[in-house]
Amino acid sequence: MRRRPAKYSAAALAWRGLRGDSWPRVWRDTELKRSYDAVVVGGGVHGLATAYYLARNHGITDVAVVDKAYLGSGASGRNTAIVRANYLTPEGVAFYDRSLQLYNSMATDLNINVMFSERGHLTLAHSDAALRTMNWRAEVNKLQGVNSSVIDPDEIKKIAPALDTSDHPRHPILGALYHPPGGIVRHDAVVWGYARAADHMGVEMHQKTEVLDILCTGGDGPDGKGAGGRVTGVRTNRGDISTPVVVNCTAGWAGLISAMAGVRLPITTHPLQAAVTEPVKVFLNTVVVSGSLHVYISQTDRGELVFGAAVDPVATYSIRGSLEFTEELAGHVLELMPGISRMRLLRQWSGLCDMTPDYSPVMGFTPVDGFLVDVGWGTYGFKAAPVSGEQIAAAVATGKTPELIAPFALSRFDTGDLVGEKGAAAVGH
Amino acid sequence: MTMSRLGSQPTEVIDRSTTLRFRWNGKRFRGFEGDTIASALAAAGEHVFSRSMKYHRPRGMLTADFWDPNLLVQVGDDPNVRAGHRLLESGMDVHPQNVWPSLRHDIKAANGLVARFLTAGFYYKTFMRPQKLWPTYERVLATFAPGGKVDLDTPHRYHDKRYVHPDVVVAGAGPAGIEAALAAAAAGARVILVEHEHAVGGHLRYSSAESARTALSELRAALDASDVEVLTDSTVTGRYEDNWLGIVQRNHPIAVERLIKARAKVLVVAPGLIERPFVFAGNDRPGVITSGAVRRLINLWGVKPGERAVVFSANSEGDAAAADLDRVGVEVAAVIDGREGRRVSAAQGPPKALEAVVAGGTRTDADLLVVAAGWTAPTSLLNMAGDRPVYDPDAARFFPSDPPSNVLATGGLAGDGSLDELRAHGAATGRLAAQRASAVAHRLQARTARALEVTGDEPDWAADERTPLGRSPHPELYRSDTHGMIDLSEDVGSKDLVAAAREGYDSVELAKRYTTATMGSAQGKLETVNTVAAIAEARGETIAQVGTTVWRPPYAPLTLGALAGRVFEPVRVSSIHPWHEANGVHTILAGQWIRPDHYGDPAAEVRNVRTNVGLIDVTPLGKLDLRGPDIPNLLNLLYTNKWSKLPVGKVRYGMMCAEDGVVLDDGVTGRLGEDHYLMTTTSSGAASVWEWVENWLQTERPDWRVHVTPVTTAYTSINVAGPKSRELVSRVTTGVDLSPEAFAYMEVRTATVAGVAGCFMWRIGFTCELSFEIHVPAGHGLHVWEALMEAGADLGVGPFGLEGQRIMRLEKGHFIVGQDTDGLTLGPSTGLSPLIKLDKDDFAGMPELAWAADRQLPMIVAIQPDDPGVVPEEAAQIVRGDTNEILGRITSSRMSPTLGRSICLGQVEPELAAGGTKLTVLLTSGQRISATVIDHHAHFDPDGERLRG
Amino acid sequence: MLLVPCPNCGPRNSADLRYGGESHARPDPATASPLQWRGYLYLRDNPADWLRETWYCRSGCRRWFTLERNTATNEFRDPPLPGDKRGGKA
Repeated sequence: MRRRPAKYSAAALAWRGLRGDSWPRVWRDTELKRSYDAVVVGGGVHGLATAYYLARNHGITDVAVVDKAYLGSGASGRNTAIVRANYLTPEGVAFYDRSLQLYNSMATDLNINVMFSERGHLTLAHSDAALRTMNWRAEVNKLQGVNSSVIDPDEIKKIAPALDTSDHPRHPILGALYHPPGGIVRHDAVVWGYARAADHMGVEMHQKTEVLDILCTGGDGPDGKGAGGRVTGVRTNRGDISTPVVVNCTAGWAGLISAMAGVRLPITTHPLQAAVTEPVKVFLNTVVVSGSLHVYISQTDRGELVFGAAVDPVATYSIRGSLEFTEELAGHVLELMPGISRMRLLRQWSGLCDMTPDYSPVMGFTPVDGFLVDVGWGTYGFKAAPVSGEQIAAAVATGKTPELIAPFALSRFDTGDLVGEKGAAAVGH
Repeated sequence: MTMSRLGSQPTEVIDRSTTLRFRWNGKRFRGFEGDTIASALAAAGEHVFSRSMKYHRPRGMLTADFWDPNLLVQVGDDPNVRAGHRLLESGMDVHPQNVWPSLRHDIKAANGLVARFLTAGFYYKTFMRPQKLWPTYERVLATFAPGGKVDLDTPHRYHDKRYVHPDVVVAGAGPAGIEAALAAAAAGARVILVEHEHAVGGHLRYSSAESARTALSELRAALDASDVEVLTDSTVTGRYEDNWLGIVQRNHPIAVERLIKARAKVLVVAPGLIERPFVFAGNDRPGVITSGAVRRLINLWGVKPGERAVVFSANSEGDAAAADLDRVGVEVAAVIDGREGRRVSAAQGPPKALEAVVAGGTRTDADLLVVAAGWTAPTSLLNMAGDRPVYDPDAARFFPSDPPSNVLATGGLAGDGSLDELRAHGAATGRLAAQRASAVAHRLQARTARALEVTGDEPDWAADERTPLGRSPHPELYRSDTHGMIDLSEDVGSKDLVAAAREGYDSVELAKRYTTATMGSAQGKLETVNTVAAIAEARGETIAQVGTTVWRPPYAPLTLGALAGRVFEPVRVSSIHPWHEANGVHTILAGQWIRPDHYGDPAAEVRNVRTNVGLIDVTPLGKLDLRGPDIPNLLNLLYTNKWSKLPVGKVRYGMMCAEDGVVLDDGVTGRLGEDHYLMTTTSSGAASVWEWVENWLQTERPDWRVHVTPVTTAYTSINVAGPKSRELVSRVTTGVDLSPEAFAYMEVRTATVAGVAGCFMWRIGFTCELSFEIHVPAGHGLHVWEALMEAGADLGVGPFGLEGQRIMRLEKGHFIVGQDTDGLTLGPSTGLSPLIKLDKDDFAGMPELAWAADRQLPMIVAIQPDDPGVVPEEAAQIVRGDTNEILGRITSSRMSPTLGRSICLGQVEPELAAGGTKLTVLLTSGQRISATVIDHHAHFDPDGERLRG
Repeated sequence: MLLVPCPNCGPRNSADLRYGGESHARPDPATASPLQWRGYLYLRDNPADWLRETWYCRSGCRRWFTLERNTATNEFRDPPLPGDKRGGKA
């Protein structure tokens, strides 16, 4: 099934440009087969990375990635594309640091320019309490070998002159956690890069293929679903597929897909909104985050400011966006950068986030044999996609939970052993 | 394309008697009152206004309105101003954007030479190696960012917001919109009519036909005579849930831009239609212009758009443009009729001008090519309401499908017809909107029946009995037999989209993302349908099969200033704050509170409290007044310890845990009377604990009789601490026996202090000194504080701040919820297991705390560095020896002025919690020091003799 | 901005209220097993459908109450329910 890829390079661009040749398809459009070794539900960065690593690291290529819309149509294409590893807990830091390494080598690994811009990441502290948490994160990061330190307002001003570091009465900038390896990545390129590379190894991508049910046998619930059972296949709008392994890599619909296998999750679904301004000449060369003002800001190479915020408080599957989001966002952005009040908001959008009680994902095996989850990614899924794919693929291939994801097992909610990221990740982007 | 000012036109909106002087690109220009920036420049003969984003091609005027992608300019510190819309003002300093070094000579135009290599998605395919060089490439690419410049010193000028609750909002004041507004108002509805342009009238404004002018003056007169509120130069930017609308008003007399938020009972969408460009070779060349732009230039601003024109027309608007051109003396060299299957193939000439038009193999010399190729229906507001418009190939545009019944479409968006038919449809829509609005109003009123009496039955939801508008046939004109530009904002051509589709990016969303088509400043208004058409063509499908893209808010870009409005950031201060300020306070921000941190020397403040007496303002302390017979039950339920037998006048400390056993809050509660208690909470927990209490009372124990009143700010709280505090307090207090026998530690009294009756006086404190906490009715707080200061002058009384208190509480070993505990700290980790009474029937978090009792948990312990001069930072990690294995962390640390040594609280793994355990603390400097866990939390006065004194 | 039908105050902007989330019965703490209790703490039905949920009218009557809302469309079911806590998926 291995295909000879059309390699991307400046020389190839020039050659095809001169000859007027077109490029081959990035992934094939194939018939849906009746059976696969594994089916990955969700054609976003997590699902595609899982499929890619199944093929690349474990030689499991008889894999279908199914998505009810188009590849990258969910949270993968709606997030603000920030990557970083400056988490609070050792388990979080180790995990995201591995992800950052994979992002660093992704362009060459996947032979596509994902435009990883390692521009540094500033998390602002507006109170003594926030500064204390920044210090705590910096210390944990340093012990894990992650470059992260607390800097003062003068240094902040040098890195991001647009920030108001004056003695502001309400939200003074007292310091920041500075994380030089953080940055932004072109999110769509990650989707396409994984899809293209997986396709080259024989994995099939099936768009507009909606999962209607997960077929199980032997479980303690109705139709053989639930604990003690095992997966036998997937019912889609394009027919049934038989498979012994189903990996749920969805965001926003994770609870609904898992319920199809009789697995209940500790998840509520909330929209996360984002917005972008019209472009202006680049003046901000780093990612700026303020936890207490619930905002994060970066400027793309195209000159647009990209803004994000905290998840909407009300759980819903509706992603229409709200006016109050843009009002609050603008107010908070102008608190930090009062000089940009004449910039115009061009577009707002939202995506769905599956929030867990401890702001950490749910990964690995479930009480249903052959049904794995890589869900509950809250607002931080994009930055974890490579390592998640790598680790979940290893779990599928070996039948064992890799150490790096052991803290994120679903069973932790049975035993009460939650992960301590909540404090840092309340608005951690 | 040689433009110039014409003689006076009957429909013109300029005032030729008022000349406005301004600068463009550093040179002086003149225009008239009523000109837009672009019309004034055009009248002065300018025909290149910008350079394109990727290839830096010269760009002229295309649509001459808000949506014109070529007319974005910088005006002073205001970037990305729509020169086709913004009215000219005297003294404006206008600059082109995205040009270097100048509009005339743009070096990046060299990109055009390599265009064949800059194919769709070219970035993705190169710059991968060497990886190290990508940041360099990136910096170069960033210089290509389009758009204006932000001046970071721009002040946040005045913006306010307005809230309205109209019955009907009509978006768009063309003939149908105006009729809808008039009819709704005539039916008694409160109506706001919102017009994007500077005046009402829609296409009637720039029609030279006598009938149009008559109709327009009729409609204007009717509006003037009606109660309709008309907002011009304003746009409905978004329709959100339950008809919550954002409206931006750009011409407010005071605010730079004003956001109006409207909860409309019914929204009427009547934006008209947007003219769609046609795709062919050279279609982005200066001199290629839409028919609507030509008509606006001639009829609104008296600008002659060229000398010799070719008109490509597929509809009556194009024909009208040809007639206008002819009338004002522009030679119409050829009319290419799109209805007869003819197509324009190319616009040719030197880079900055049009010389000739090629159609059907014939080349015609011309400096102007007018294009009338059809319409885009701006269905954005309908999309935001959940509608999925459907494509009609016979009419060559999208139409509304099934919007929610409180959103009604009329005008060109809904169909075609004569002016009379459009007006009649508008009026019928207005009547329907008013009927439905009255039904909504009745229902809202009925839901609020406690406040208002509801009269009559709810009116029926009026059926839609409007006579539908027809649909005029229109040829499907998207691309000619040549390739051209589709998205002028983004420099994306039809070739790029075809290439993207062939590569597999063959759905609209994927192709958009891959090529960035529709992502630019025009927000897809001009280019979306052509984008869909290009993909349909590449896939060999119809436009209907490919479907459209989702239009996202806002409908028109609006400033961050307008969205933010006036920035209200309230802060809270206590009634004593003026005294603090007059006495050299250094404040600290705690939530919304501005609190005294210290008054210059916190260590001296501590020593003064330890030897004499000090006062601290602790007003933000959360206070809940509880009344009712079931208070002991409530306290038993919320706190982990027991409360059934607290006598009147006694105080008890309690810890609250959430249902997962995690420490939530702590504080003391005193019993003031038989059925009257006062609960105190942490300052930061004041609001959340109140909601927590209400939640339990209302949802789990609705039968219990407890009434809760938050009184945090009703009282100013002062803690008087130090060995001489009894002496000081006794000098100003009446009505209470302050002797240790009569008023013991952990008791509460009601007292008169400095003549203020009704003060609550507590014998509690956070400092481990004898102390009295006085809650004074807030209006008298400053008076009591000053009286205490005066009365204690000879005792050495002085103020102390939060820092001094934090040092003393650390000396005493009191933990602070949220600092020494975190989101996973279970009750027993605080060391207060004796206060967790698992033999109670029930309390919040009980099961988890019961299971936790058998588990080894991280513990909060007091720690002393072995070198007493070293203060480890709060956040310093506790590690195993020389390894990086984390075993805990320092959560609080200070140099103790009392003990002359550094003291800490920290969280450690259970095996390190025993007194005497040696720890390795990693300082933030990287140095490792040794420290020792001490036997109990208190570094000072572990037996509490001082505070019981 | 959702319009939330407070049973006391009438329709109010959602910003005036606090969202309390999916409503669920509290197990008897005396008899609940760890699995039952943690199910109550952490597991949610989270349907894309009608849901019983709690709201707190923090800027108005300051009452907690239960409403049914369709999480796919954000419609509220009329009229509001009294302040009980039984439920989950409606």
